[in-house]
Formats: sequence, structure tokens, C-alpha cells
Amino acid sequence: MRPLAQCRFHRVALAIGIWGVSVLIAPSAGAQTLTLTVSPSTITFAAADPDTTPSIAASSITVSYRVRNNATGSWRISLLASGDLTAGSATIPITNVTWTASPTPRFQAGTLSRTLAQTLASGSGNVQNTTTGTVVFRLANSWTYNVGSYSTSVVFTLTAP
Amino acid sequence: MKHLKSLILGVTAAAIAAAQGVGAATATGSVSASVTVSAMAKLTLSSATVTFANADPDTSPIIAAAEGALTITAKGKTSTGATIALTLLAADDLRSGGDRIPIANITWTASGPGFAAGTMSKVTAQPVGSWANSGSRTGTQSFAMVNSWSYAAGSYTTTAAYTLTAP
Repeated sequence: MRPLAQCRFHRVALAIGIWGVSVLIAPSAGAQTLTLTVSPSTITFAAADPDTTPSIAASSITVSYRVRNNATGSWRISLLASGDLTAGSATIPITNVTWTASPTPRFQAGTLSRTLAQTLASGSGNVQNTTTGTVVFRLANSWTYNVGSYSTSVVFTLTAP
Repeated sequence: MKHLKSLILGVTAAAIAAAQGVGAATATGSVSASVTVSAMAKLTLSSATVTFANADPDTSPIIAAAEGALTITAKGKTSTGATIALTLLAADDLRSGGDRIPIANITWTASGPGFAAGTMSKVTAQPVGSWANSGSRTGTQSFAMVNSWSYAAGSYTTTAAYTLTAP
């Protein structure tokens, strides 16, 4: 038979433990809800004379996003290319692709990378209504590009811790 | 009491793990990007005419072009490993009425990577330069004509065509 004092201590300790669980798990109950859509899903850089068109602009992309249950946190939309533009063994470095974006300051310009995700947009708190931004990619044209049909993909990622 | 400590530590560790597992929410989208690079060639010459001044063959057995060296810029896009070629072909000999000076009496020297010296021909296009893969190349071409007492007096002219090929 346990002494009465020890039983009471057990009950208190158990209560503290359960309370700790509820506090630490609280973020999971209100996990961020993020939505991101990108349209169109395909862009093309038209063939052009590098002397007259040193930078080839693709059609603009609309990025729609929404961030909820993120009252005190930050969020970020990043871009990461899956690789260089490739056509068989020929490549065009993906760093030759840059972008401009609006509206600022949420959205920012940058240069694509295949190794490190680059920030396209960032903010903090919630974005209760679906909000849009516009991105225009540009390819630096060059006489050094060999003939071919090059392609790659770019992943947009909205993250919110 | 020993059991109580284990319970508290165990529950706390589980709670931290759960919080980390749901801490980073993500949503993704993707865009495919493409570009078609087509074969293309562009040639630029610093001068459209080359002139050889009248001179005494004894003192000037070789007459350099009055314009000096031509600057040539050859730009081309081609397939990987393919060769871009620049050639020169004269339309005819130098002619002045019924008189003529054989076009083979005109030669050139060249400078710049891929550029080559040569002798003009009205039959076969002569190589001026060649380069592997796409690119923009700049060099010079300096023309000279063999002088001779055998040339009849007159104003001789001809034309020559450069052809830049990017297959």
C-alpha cells in the first residue's frame, strides 16, 4: 500500500505531463493551410536573333496563393529549376534565365538556379483571400547556343513554417 | 518515483516530435519551360570594297589593299559538333574591257581564331574561316595583289561573294 503523499504526487505529475502534451501539440490542431496555383503551366522562349533580341521574354505567369492559420508565422514562395535547359547533350545554363515579378515588395526579381531554391515572394501572417502575382521569365539570348529544342521545369513551392 | 520521471520524459519527447512533424506546410506548382534554337548565320564586313592603288611593279611587287585589313564578324548557330564555314568566291577575273588580270593574283592573310589565309578563285569557293559549334567570331582579312608589268592599263573590277554557312 502506497503512502497517500506518493499517490498525490503521481496524480499531479500526470496532470502536468498531459498539459504539456496539449500545449506542444497545439500547432498541429491549427496547421497552416496553403494553396498555390501557377498558370499557365508551360512557357516558351521564342527563337530570336541575339543581336536584335538579347533577352527573350516568355509570356507572363500568374501565381495565385493563399495562406491561412498562419497568424504569427512567415511564408515564402520559392523557385527551383529541375536542371539546365537541355536538348540531348546540349545545355543552356539555367542561370541564363531571370525573372521579374510584381507586385513588389512581396514579389521580387531573381535568377533561376538548379541547386538552390530562389525566393520569388515572401511575407508574414495570413493571406486570407486568394492573391495573385505576375512573373515574367527572360532568357539571355546568345550566339553560343547550339541548335536544338531545349526544355526544363521549374517548381514553385509555397512554404510556411 | 523512478517510473514517474520516465513517463514525463516520454510524453514530452513525443509531443516535440509531433510538433516538428506538422511544422512545415508546403504547396507546390510547376512550369515547363522550353526554347527552340534554330540555325542562323549573320556576316558583317567592315568594308564592301577593296581597292588596289596603281604602283610601280619594281618598287611595289605586292600591292596591299588601300582599305587596310577588313574586319569580319561571323556569327552562327548550328548543331552541337557541326562546323560553321565562311568561304569567298570571285565572280570573275579582274576585267577592264577586254583586258583581264587573273583573280588568282589576289591573295589574303588573316588573323583571328579560325580564320585562314588564301588565294582568290573564280571557280571554287575558298575557305576564309571555319569553326565548330555556335558562336560569334571576329577576325581580319588583308588583301594583296601581285603587281606586274604585264598588266594592260585600265580600271579593273570584279566582285566576290562571301558565304557563311551554319548547317
